[in-house]
Amino acid sequence: MDHRAISRRLFLEQSAGAAGMAWARVAIPGLAAISQAACTAKEEKAPFTILSEAEALEFEAIAARIIPTTDTPGATEAGVVYFFDQSFGTFNAPMLPMLRGGLDELQSGIADGKLFSALGPNEQDAILEQAQNTPFFQIFRIMTFAGFFGMSEYGGNKDGVGWELLGMNPHEHAYSPPFGYYDAEYLEENPDA
Amino acid sequence: MPEYNTREEVDFVIIGSGAAGGIIAKELSTAGFSTVVLEQGKYRKTSDFTHDEIKYFLNGEWFGAGPRESGMSFRENAEDEPQTGGQQDPALYAKTVGGSSVVFSAHFWRMRPIDFNERSVLGSIEGTNFADWPITYEDLEPYYTKVEWDMGVSGAPGHSDPPRSKPYPMPPLPINSSGAIMEKAAAALGLHADVQAHAILSRAHNGRPPCLQCGFCAFFGCEVGAKSSSLAAMIPLAEASGNCEIRPESTVFRIVKDADGRVSEVLYFDKDGNEQGQKTKAVVLSANGAESPRLLLESDNLANSSGFVGRNLMFNAHGGVNAVFEHPLNEYKGVQATRVVLDYYESDPQRGFYGGGGIDARGGLAMTPLMYATFGAPPAEKNWGTDYKEMIAHSFSRQMGMMVSATSLPMDRNNITLHPSNTDKWGRPAILVTNKDHPDDIANAQFLQDKGQELLDAAGATRTWSQPVGPSQFGVHLLGTCRMGDDSATSVIDKNHRSHDVPNLFICDGSSLVSSTRGQPTMTIMALAFRAADKIKAAAGAGDV
Repeated sequence: MDHRAISRRLFLEQSAGAAGMAWARVAIPGLAAISQAACTAKEEKAPFTILSEAEALEFEAIAARIIPTTDTPGATEAGVVYFFDQSFGTFNAPMLPMLRGGLDELQSGIADGKLFSALGPNEQDAILEQAQNTPFFQIFRIMTFAGFFGMSEYGGNKDGVGWELLGMNPHEHAYSPPFGYYDAEYLEENPDA
Repeated sequence: MPEYNTREEVDFVIIGSGAAGGIIAKELSTAGFSTVVLEQGKYRKTSDFTHDEIKYFLNGEWFGAGPRESGMSFRENAEDEPQTGGQQDPALYAKTVGGSSVVFSAHFWRMRPIDFNERSVLGSIEGTNFADWPITYEDLEPYYTKVEWDMGVSGAPGHSDPPRSKPYPMPPLPINSSGAIMEKAAAALGLHADVQAHAILSRAHNGRPPCLQCGFCAFFGCEVGAKSSSLAAMIPLAEASGNCEIRPESTVFRIVKDADGRVSEVLYFDKDGNEQGQKTKAVVLSANGAESPRLLLESDNLANSSGFVGRNLMFNAHGGVNAVFEHPLNEYKGVQATRVVLDYYESDPQRGFYGGGGIDARGGLAMTPLMYATFGAPPAEKNWGTDYKEMIAHSFSRQMGMMVSATSLPMDRNNITLHPSNTDKWGRPAILVTNKDHPDDIANAQFLQDKGQELLDAAGATRTWSQPVGPSQFGVHLLGTCRMGDDSATSVIDKNHRSHDVPNLFICDGSSLVSSTRGQPTMTIMALAFRAADKIKAAAGAGDV
């Protein structure tokens, strides 16, 4: 399998907005080959299994612009780069050459041979904005989200920071009503409901 | 669980373990018939299910790797070159014991009396195979009730429900915020917000626990077995009968017909790819509306003297509008939809097109974090970076949608055929989907989507967005492709699900439907399965199989 595993067409289809509600489209088989590989959580500063330290630094820098650290944790704090590393050793292995190639291309466009990770955030954003319609960036974006919002067994979403960003409690897996503002209001107005 | 010898005849081989196959397996095995269920998917159980979006959404756990493995292709018109590509099959179904009933959202609507004789009431529609059913609502009503009680359905009567012989076995699931918004919006527009019934337990029933409101229903297996899938509600009873063997990872490639015109054996690949053949006295084909016609076509055009095998494919038209509200809804808690507007259920010639359907208020994509952040958030010029992060952090808990489920008309041009050259990973001829919705299907879904927009405006949404309704290029509802009918020239099975051509072949799944329902077909498929099982048992008891 090659980078067609996530084709340009998929991204265009999925990001076109029709997906927003023709929502059965969320069923997107085949980000990569299915793998039953065991997933174990990564500790911070754990060694990488697939990526070199240098590559990891660049991947981490890109992910940090996709989900920046603000007053809440970003991709860096979530350990997204460990998700990348772990996924390249398992289900995402076929994607690695394509992403390495994309990184090289990104890097080669930077003046003075500087590393992406050595640039300031505004310069980094400008470079990524130039690249944002490339399959490399679009796959990178999905992978960053997968590492930030996926289950932490895959190496990222450390301590459930991704779910916390969205207002979920990562330790809660069952709920009881009222769930939100409007049903609470409805139940007040309709106590017999 | 018994293990039957493949070389010795069993009473029934059932192909497929989903909404229909699981029910028929339970009914026949508990009546004492030896049954083997051949299911192409794995035997995943309730204890296997998690909230793993990477596994279920990105890595194709349910639906497989798409056209790369299935060879499936799509075209709108018979003249077009079939397109094989992308990541998603145009006919989507979960390959697992229990089938797509494991992963559905479980919104259960009965059909109404009008659905069964609508052709007689409205007249013909040019270019379509619009037809009455050979059975009536009264014929099916006891089986809708059986679905509610035996599978487990929670709900409460709506303002325009068809007659029912027994109340719901349990109260509805709790209202969520999108449902509360729907209540106010519908009242403002003079419409009715009916309680959405679910094949999800609101209280313990038949030895199964109630819903935890965890929010992971659609495209997830229920981790406590509260969703009334075939897997949770039927398969355990079938196995407990001692007369049913579930044989997972068994991919059928041929139903063998003997010189006497009867089927005698079902050939399949086992999980290691070895060819196997199960001898049987009769076959029940419940493989779904894409796989069932494919298997018949692949078996030398079996049961197809009418030429109707594969024709009249109906996906159900869909539409929807998304919205963000001022305060948190937290749609990630609880089930998808708790209120539905069914005021436009019936076709109204005044509207200028055929069709009807429902509009439900639901979390939609704002229910699971990864899918939301990746594909479900409000449209943005830049879908990454600080502003995007802040937007999704704000909107995830405040977003909902109005989802339209609607009719499709049966037409010759929309069908399942075999691709002339593509094969799947097993070497079987691949499924070719040809579909271009009838203009009325699109007009009707657009009409309902516009009503959804009005509802959101009336509810005071701070932002809404949608896409115009267009022709369906894929479907999860696979209907009509082996339709039932009294006339063997224009249907594949009779009203008791027996093939017109092959006396010991029965077909029951979405393919049996004559019309499309109003967009929520699974309850009808299940009711048909309970009814078919009764008819098959009676025939077998009378020596007529």
